[in-house]
This record gives sequence, structure tokens and C-alpha cells, in this order.
Amino acid sequence: MLLLRQFLMECKLYSRDRAAMFWTFAFPMLLLLGLGTIFRSGATPQLTLVVAGVSREAPAGRQLFQALERTPLKLLELDPAAAAARWEKGETAAQLEPAGSGFGLKVNTYLAAQGQMAAQIVQEANLAVQVARDGHQPTWMPVQVESPGHAHSGNYAAFLLPGLLGLNLLSMGLFSVGMVNVSYREKGKFRRLAVTPLPKWIFLLGQVLQRLVVAFLQAALMLLLGYFAFGIRNQGSYLLLAAVMALGSGCFMAMGFALAGFAQTTESYGAISNAFFFPMMFLSGVYFTLDSAPHWMRQAVVLLPLSPYLRVLRGIFNDGAGFAGHGLDLAVVAAWAVACFGVALKRFKWA
Amino acid sequence: MTDLALRVRGIRKAYPKVLAVDGLDLDVRRGEVFGLLGPNGAGKTTTLEMIEGITAPDAGEIQLLGLDWKRHGREIRSRIGVQLQSTSLFNKITPREALDLYGSYYPRRRKAEDLLELVQLTDKADAYHVTLSGGQMQRLALALALVNDPELVFLDEPTTGLDPQARRGLWDVVRQIRDEGRTVILTTHYMDEAEVLCDRLAIMDHGRLLTAGTPLGLIQELSIPSVVELTFDGTAPDPGPFAAQLGLAVAGRGDAWEIPTRDPKALLPRLLEAAETGAVPYKQIHVRRATLEDVFLHLTGRSLRD
Repeated sequence: MLLLRQFLMECKLYSRDRAAMFWTFAFPMLLLLGLGTIFRSGATPQLTLVVAGVSREAPAGRQLFQALERTPLKLLELDPAAAAARWEKGETAAQLEPAGSGFGLKVNTYLAAQGQMAAQIVQEANLAVQVARDGHQPTWMPVQVESPGHAHSGNYAAFLLPGLLGLNLLSMGLFSVGMVNVSYREKGKFRRLAVTPLPKWIFLLGQVLQRLVVAFLQAALMLLLGYFAFGIRNQGSYLLLAAVMALGSGCFMAMGFALAGFAQTTESYGAISNAFFFPMMFLSGVYFTLDSAPHWMRQAVVLLPLSPYLRVLRGIFNDGAGFAGHGLDLAVVAAWAVACFGVALKRFKWA
Repeated sequence: MTDLALRVRGIRKAYPKVLAVDGLDLDVRRGEVFGLLGPNGAGKTTTLEMIEGITAPDAGEIQLLGLDWKRHGREIRSRIGVQLQSTSLFNKITPREALDLYGSYYPRRRKAEDLLELVQLTDKADAYHVTLSGGQMQRLALALALVNDPELVFLDEPTTGLDPQARRGLWDVVRQIRDEGRTVILTTHYMDEAEVLCDRLAIMDHGRLLTAGTPLGLIQELSIPSVVELTFDGTAPDPGPFAAQLGLAVAGRGDAWEIPTRDPKALLPRLLEAAETGAVPYKQIHVRRATLEDVFLHLTGRSLRD
């Protein structure tokens, strides 16, 4: 009864805090909407081949063009100067250009995935032209370029959404739990509670339950936005997703309580928590995949809990998989949760 | 049932760098308003925190309402009311909600409506906490300390930062609390407040009790019950030479000298003579009874608000 009252009061007061409401609910949704739209690559991703200074009228060119037009490649014909400019800007993944008596291909290492795929298709078209010259009529196998359920990197929002779900839990733990309790201690709110007969665990449990409700509400809104704005949906089980959300909430809230035990003031807490927050925010693969990041960068954050957590989350959300293959990731997150909980029990101070 | 609301024997508390409280004894009777006075750093707050159960003493014993913290912590908490020096609440909670919430922590509670009326906050009952003035916040803190109908009420500097009118308003509330039969223990920086409000008081410094008694009793115990004040135009000159000539202690403070004396009748002619000859060019002469402020100065060598 006391707990319920404490919980409801937390909810009521939270709902009156417009700044908290904005940062908790509106901001992540705006981020998803904004970044998802900016980096939206369309419902079906297109492979573009820049064709630089090759004339359709030349006999050698005509046959290759005919063959290329039967592939899923989008041809962009430019004069050599325009093609060079586009190449310099780094927008071109693959480029076809005259070389000697025939043609040559240039592939951009930064866009290696698209570039190599395009190059391979060009090579196959070229082979088909040669086979036709020998009198054979090659048959084409149809190629469709697609991202399954729009859940993979073809749609950036699908990559970003689980990243933001994880980031939300991290900032909830470090700021709306850790920071808030340091400020309660600093302002003497805990002392005021200490002179009442209210058991302290009821106060904290009420707070934790309220944050859990907020976290789930926030996630539900993000999922709805992802579905209606970008057509992305959870590929895995919602039950597993909820279980992983609960694990993440536990881990990051424990981290907030643990860090709160090392700071006397909200200012010093800000410094301590940022030392954890920023590396995780930028280097744990929230906004972009770390597969192409330098080795040291991946090593630097390998022990922090957000990147294994996001791998588990994306495994469910994007791949529709269960926990299989994520044993180590789950173990790292769970170890952080237990360690932080232990430190919090030992260090958390009321006065 | 004991007739002592509070009984403290030999409590000590040492922090890494300072011995905050060094063997303190206190007795507070039921139904009285008891004041704890002392300069900043005297150990008042640490003493109160130990009595209120926020900090555990290193040694000594504390009994509130005949109960022991170790065995009856929860019962003590539900029978005492505490106003801390600064009471921090959520910004967007209203006085009525705060009273209902804190009331819900106790087995026995008073109606928010009655408490709001007692501290004259009825018209602010549904305003957010951040919008209250300093005086209104203090009155709300006082109401919160009374929410469980406590037998013993602690008020830590209840009128600090209030304007004179608001202070007087709070004094009336404290008297009303006492008249309802509750015991009140308060700390204050204001000597006039202590003199007017407290039935008995204790003065402490450096973690020890210096003296305890009724305000009038303490003043009468003072060996020097009168003070002659000389006021100058602008800053008062160095009193040293004249003090030597008089053979009395003369304290220079701002634009005045203060001369504590047992016999103002004998001192006045000499001061008048000094004015006539122009030796001491003061403008005003004023004889007053010693106050608690003088008791304090005498005992600690410091003014209370230094």
C-alpha cells in the first residue's frame, strides 16, 4: 500500500516535469524520425553504377549497355569531369570507364559492399556479352536487391531503433536514477525521509518501478513510431524483447546507483557519469556499426556493457533470433549488473 | 512513563578531522520549549542529528520519550516531528500533496487541511512548491514536522532568513504547538527569539555544554548584569587607552563602545566627565540590562552571528 502510494506519487510528479518528459519521450522519437529520414535509403536499396565517358554509339559500348540494362543496376551516365567530381566527393560506389580498347572498373573502398556488388554484376554482364559474341544466347537469373522486412541496414532507422532503445536505458540509469539520487542526497531529501518511519527500500523500490514503467512506455512509443514512420517491426519475440529490456534496465539502473556512491555533489556526479556515458554513447554502436571501426576503438569499449547489450537487442529485433550465439554478450551484461548492484549496496550513501 | 522528553548522557561524535561533540548531557522536560544555542561549528547540528537518529553517536546514550534508538527506532520516528534546517521537496509538489504523502508514512496523522490552517498556507494549498516564498516554505516545513501529531518536535533554525513579521508569525505557531502539550526543541541564531520563546536553554561551544537554565536565570548569573553603550559619529576610536584609565573592559564594535559593568551608577559620572573635557567625543550614552547576547559573548568570547 505504501509502495503503491510512493509509486503513484513518483508517476504524478514525473508527469509534471516537462523537461524530463521531453528528454525521455519526445527527444528519442525526434532523433529516430530525424536520423531515420535523413539516412533513409528507400524501400528497396538501389545499386548505382556511374558510367564515365563511355558512348552508347561505339560498337563495343552498345552491347555492354544492352546487357547492363537487364541487370538491377541503375546507370548514371556522366561526362568524365562530372564523374571525377562525384568520385572525389565519395558518393560513387563503382564507376565504369574506358580503359585501353575496352573498359575498366573503379571501386570505392569506403562503399566496398555496394561497389563490389556492382562490379560483380558488371563483370557478369561483360561475360554475357562475350558469350553472345560466340553465338550463344545466355539466360539471366533474376536478381532482386532487398532488405528483409526492412530490418537490416538497408533501412537505417531499423538499425538505429534498437540502438536508441539501449541508449534510453543507459541514460535513464545514469541520469534519472543516479543523478536524481545524488541530488536528493545533496539537497537533504534523504535526510528528511530518514526522520520518518518510511522504510528506505520502499522509497527506492517505488522509484525503480516508476522508471521501469517509463522505460517500457518509451520503448512502446519508439516501436510504434518505427512501424508507422519506417515500416520496421520487431523480427523476434516480444516476450524476449521485454525480458532483455528488463535486464538492461536492471543493469543500467544498478550502474546509476553504484556511480551515485562515488559522488558528493551533482557536479562531481556529472563528471563521473560522463566518463561512462559518452564512450558508451559513441563507441558502442548506437548510431553506426562498429564493424568498420578501427581495431583499438572496438577494443576500448569491448568491456563496457552497452555494445554487448545492443548485440543481444539487435539479435532479437533485427534478426529475429533468440539468445543463441549471444551467451557471452549476455554474460557480460549480467556481470555488469551484478557487479554494479554489489558496489551500490556497499557504496550508496543516504547522507 | 518518564517525565523527560529527552535524556542525553555523554554522547560523543568524532569526524576524521574534528571532534564534533565531546561528551554532552541534556535533559528536556515534557511540555517545555527548549533552545540549543551555539556559534557556527559548535556542534549543534551534529548533536541534533544524533538525537534525531540521522547519525549514530560514537558513544553515550540517548533516550527520547523514554525509548532507545537501537530498540525502538521505528516507534520513536513515528512519535517525533522534525524540521530540518533546509527541507527539500520536489519542485512540483503542492503543500497539500506533500502533507498527504508524508502523512501516509505514519500510523497517526493530522488532516492536511488543519495543518495548512495552522501555518496559514490554506490559500497556497494547491500551488507548486517552487512558487512559495522563503517564509511559506519554512511554514510548510513546520507543518510537515507536525503531520504525525508528534509528542516531541525538533525545529532547526526555524526562522533563519525570514523577515521580522514572518518570524513573529512563526513564534505564534511555536507557542501554539507548546500550548497543545508538545515538547519543542529548537536551535536558533537569534537571541531575542531564544529569550522570548524558550522556557529553558543550553549554550554549547566546541562540542561541549557551557551552561543551561532559564533565559532570565542565565542573565542574572552573569557577573556583569548591565552594559553602558557609547555611540560615536562614524567609526569608534580605539578604546584601549581609555579602558586602561578606567580599569574596565571596553569592547569596540563598529560605531560604538560597550562597557559591561556591575555598577552603572558609579561609572556614569566618569563617562560624563570624559565627554565634557572632550577626551572621549561620543554622541550618545545608553545603559541597558545585559541580554542573552552578552551571556553568549561572555561565555564563548564570540558573538552568536559572527
